[in-house]
Amino acid sequence: MAATDIYLEHAPWKRPLLWSLGLHGGLCAFIVFYTAVFAHGRGEIWGSGGGGDAMSAMIVSSIPLPANEQQTQNVLANESKGLTQSQPKVEEKEPEAIAIPDKETKQTHAKKPSIEKNKPQPEPETNQIPYGEGGPVHGPYAAFNAGGAQGGFSFSGGSGDFGSRFSWYVQVVQRKVSENWMKYEVDPNVRDGRRVYITFEVARNGAPKNVQIEQSSGIPSLDYSAVRAIQRIDTFGPLPSDYAGSSVGVEFWFDYKH
Amino acid sequence: MGTHDNRIWVWHKALAFLSGAALLLGATSLFAQQDWIRTGTGLGVEKVRLAVPDFKASSSDGRNGDLLKAFNDTLWNDLDNAGIFDMVSKSFYPLRQPSSPNEVSFGDWNIPPPNASMLAFGGLGASGDNVTVQGWLFDLKNTSSPQVLAKQYQDKATTDNARIIAHKFADEIIFRLGGGIQGIAESKIVFISTRSGHKEVWSMDYDGANQQQLTKLGSISLSPRISPDGSRVAFSSIVGSSWQILLYSLDLGRTVAFPRFGGTNVSPAWAPDGTRIAFSSSQSGDPELYVADNAGHNLKRVTTSPGPDVSPVWNPKTGAQLAFVSGRSGLPQIYTMEADGTNVQKLTDQGYAVSPSWSPNGQFLVFSWMRKYGPGAPGAQDIYIMDIVSRQWVQLTHDGGRNDFPSWSPDGRHIVFQSSRSGSEQIWSMLADGSNVRQLTTSGGNSQPNWSWK
Repeated sequence: MAATDIYLEHAPWKRPLLWSLGLHGGLCAFIVFYTAVFAHGRGEIWGSGGGGDAMSAMIVSSIPLPANEQQTQNVLANESKGLTQSQPKVEEKEPEAIAIPDKETKQTHAKKPSIEKNKPQPEPETNQIPYGEGGPVHGPYAAFNAGGAQGGFSFSGGSGDFGSRFSWYVQVVQRKVSENWMKYEVDPNVRDGRRVYITFEVARNGAPKNVQIEQSSGIPSLDYSAVRAIQRIDTFGPLPSDYAGSSVGVEFWFDYKH
Repeated sequence: MGTHDNRIWVWHKALAFLSGAALLLGATSLFAQQDWIRTGTGLGVEKVRLAVPDFKASSSDGRNGDLLKAFNDTLWNDLDNAGIFDMVSKSFYPLRQPSSPNEVSFGDWNIPPPNASMLAFGGLGASGDNVTVQGWLFDLKNTSSPQVLAKQYQDKATTDNARIIAHKFADEIIFRLGGGIQGIAESKIVFISTRSGHKEVWSMDYDGANQQQLTKLGSISLSPRISPDGSRVAFSSIVGSSWQILLYSLDLGRTVAFPRFGGTNVSPAWAPDGTRIAFSSSQSGDPELYVADNAGHNLKRVTTSPGPDVSPVWNPKTGAQLAFVSGRSGLPQIYTMEADGTNVQKLTDQGYAVSPSWSPNGQFLVFSWMRKYGPGAPGAQDIYIMDIVSRQWVQLTHDGGRNDFPSWSPDGRHIVFQSSRSGSEQIWSMLADGSNVRQLTTSGGNSQPNWSWK
């Protein structure tokens, strides 16, 4: 038979109770003491104190995207005037010495030979950037730059001066093509240094047509990504009314940089 | 004790690192997501730096002051709102500001601090009954032939006309520099307002100016849709005891005939060629989508499944597809289908998605979505944009309130919608990437905006 032990003696509770009361009392006293001495009798109101290290969000009008890497074709330093206006040079001439001819801007990067006869070559003025140099397009010469590819445009049509007369239109074409070129369409295994030449025509109403691969880069996905960039575009806007031709031919080449 | 503490500490560090990395990856993919929106909507990543000094008075007429103020404010707002310009702040402008081509000094404008690429300038002068405005747009980087635009406008000398001329000039600039996409400065928005005591159809300019009441039916009118040629507004209204589709003619200033159908007839939508109207009707007992011609005849039913089908919207590029809201699988979701009812595709699969609007280039849908819907859910209702082909979507509004009834602008760069974020239902507009949110209406309760087609 299970025996239930009944303990006649009481469980010792006096001492533990006294300890409990003492510790509780001590805790309360400490809290009171702390508030009185350190918090000057007031508690912190919730939310005061500045929020600590909370981040604050600002409304911005546009997300500040990092700018595209600007790379020019020239790896050698040269005397080009670049983006800013240079100070007039102080001529120092030694009478005996033979003057060293100034190295003016030499187009050192490779250009497609057939472009040469079509391309307009106006006098470079002090506030214009020579072809292929400088950063993104801020001048009449169309340098094409789109996160992974860079290259150039040339316009043929009329008397060959479309690019200099209607540089704003060249810029619209450049902007639209670079916006519509999708880097992900190119095979990710492709590395640098591939160039493809594309030609197309812009009709009077601004629609691109006859998109052709004039010279392949050897990589089909790169070729077709360029073609598709132009095919995606419905219109560049009507050709300038001052321009007499019914269409303008555009040649553009770009180098793919992974 | 020591090693146990160490392990907890290491675990916390690892967790912090992982969540930081995840946030970073999330942030970069968010930037990538925004890029495809900017490309598809023509907002572009590179913006043209445009300087627009105030036009100057070209005559000595006392009215020029008011006219110039209206013109300059409107021109600046239109170009700023376009979404494709980086407007050079007026505090950077040089002291000499041109009002005719021979006064332009390129060196003042195309170097920092203004560093502008384009310059729009001109003069305005009133004389007699008329006001004449001459405006030019110059390419500052091409000193040999800088002129892009030279325009002259003349109309009766009122501030309203000064505003209209400013809208025209701004649209011309946006058309040239924005790659052939028409500017929206002359477009209109129709919407529903309660400020007259009843829900009536109103219209306003795209920037919120010129708000005018169109209908005076004294009933409840909803979901106005303006026709592609801008001559009529289709809407649904309680007529007698049932909901019917009504047509209001802006030319005649009154409603014109449209057949009455049984059941509840709501949410009309114009096809882009203006020859057909799609709407939802419950004449067969269950709300289904029907397509009729623009006089309401030749009715054809295009949906057949049980569950309500409402809010159709046509593909503006092809006129051959419809996007709509259907409850056939439970909560309302967005679907697309061909205009004859075939090839139904489901685009959303969670929450509560309503009010689709199809972008003018046919690539995107915007709609209102409560992704978490149901008891205990936060219930935020926001505007989302989805690329139809890839089904990728991005949330456009974040600032609270219930955001609903988005509608695309004709240039595909702006979205107008209704939002309760200010405390009452008002109409707001934003760029198609979610930036530049502006309030357009302030008085009364304003809802269900629809942007005109041009």
